[in-house]
Amino acid sequence: MDSQDDIPTDRLPLFPFTRTDPFHPPAEYARARRECPVSPVRLWNRQRAWLLTRLEQVRSVLQDRRFSGEFARPDFPAVTEARVAIDKAERAFVGMDNPRHQHFRRMFTREFSHKRMMALRPRIEAITAGLLDRMAAKGPPADLVEDLAVQLPALVMCELFGSPYEDRTYIMKCAAGRHGMRQSPAEAAQTARDLVDYCRTLIDAKERVPADDMLSRVIAEYVVPGTLSRDELADICAMILRAGHDTTTNMIGAGTLVLFQHPEQLAKLKADPSLVERAVEELLRYVTPVQFAPRRVALEDVELCGQRIRRGDGIFAVGPSANRDADAFPDPDRLDIERDASQHVSFGYGIHQCLGQGLARIELHVAFNALFARFPGLRLAVPLAEVPFKFDSQIFGVYRLPVAW
Amino acid sequence: MVGGAFKVRVDTTKCVGAGRCVAQAPTVFDQSEEDGTVVLLTDSPDAALRQAVEKAARLCPAGAITLADA
Repeated sequence: MDSQDDIPTDRLPLFPFTRTDPFHPPAEYARARRECPVSPVRLWNRQRAWLLTRLEQVRSVLQDRRFSGEFARPDFPAVTEARVAIDKAERAFVGMDNPRHQHFRRMFTREFSHKRMMALRPRIEAITAGLLDRMAAKGPPADLVEDLAVQLPALVMCELFGSPYEDRTYIMKCAAGRHGMRQSPAEAAQTARDLVDYCRTLIDAKERVPADDMLSRVIAEYVVPGTLSRDELADICAMILRAGHDTTTNMIGAGTLVLFQHPEQLAKLKADPSLVERAVEELLRYVTPVQFAPRRVALEDVELCGQRIRRGDGIFAVGPSANRDADAFPDPDRLDIERDASQHVSFGYGIHQCLGQGLARIELHVAFNALFARFPGLRLAVPLAEVPFKFDSQIFGVYRLPVAW
Repeated sequence: MVGGAFKVRVDTTKCVGAGRCVAQAPTVFDQSEEDGTVVLLTDSPDAALRQAVEKAARLCPAGAITLADA
């Protein structure tokens, strides 16, 4: 492959590319995987960045300490000016390198351990059943996004934080106002601050009246002895609330639609609900809600796949592309709920891989199985052309999903 | 050798507590109640578990799991 590191930035293609097909990522990625897997692009601010489009590169760079994940760096790449404002406002460990990242993450890791998450499963089943009861009473038709996809993760977050269920509307609003491609930097920063303020109030309440929940335990163990400040905890709580919300919402909405579009696959799942674990991995791969992440910046000149990445160049490890890499996933554009898709990078990879992935998986397993058990005849209630897709968001999905049964 | 006796090692300094290993092979891996990092329940799992442990190593985001032939 020819070196492309001397092309003037002005002549590089502008990133992000426009997504036009709801079921497949932009065609530019497929071309890049074939012809130039490490591809240079230009960002909105004329910064040069590189797209990593194949699975093995994504895995290796995300484990390579020559690339930094510090959101606060002035050269950290972003797809919009509003995203820069969000990055600058982010003070939780999601935007830190080690050793600081590990210092903070480890205070929360056991709260998200496999066993703790499995113990939450009965509560998640009960919450889901309650939501489906309401949906049944209301319809048909119903909007699956409003009635299930948005509600379930917000209620599960309330459960985890020990916050009142009434707070879910506020959590949903703050989480949703974050990924638009057209929001203003001031608006984005304000939404981020609002959620941190909410978390401060929640921490105050838990300090006064501790209970058996994650927040109370972290306060007792780390805030009281002075290992973690209240401000640091509020920043981390806001990060967890946001991360625990939008992605799961979009997986439930888009995942259900993808199953509707593949009736023979859906029939298999309905006939054998034990397929749900594989089906969810395949849907995570196929949908890949997070469009333009993970991101890094090169700390030194690095040669990658024949290209010379310069110090200060941005990196996008493009999950939607890596998850369609034919070397890792044969016939990658075909949905096959029986394949083993578990090495997808929809939760990222490396030290920042999603802390809440176990929780997300349980929510998705429960949601899909309960949904099709309760409504075996569930179907799309409008023509596909009328489904509003999130083409204008950094997290792909559907705004609404009208369903009938 | 596929399916042969093997040893498994974990590096707790690298572990990020993603929990993928426990989901793959719960009789081999656990997570500490203290900080959620990996706890090795046995360093010589049954040969029948080799595939599951190899997959756990492949899926570990931090590269904290290694296998060696016994």
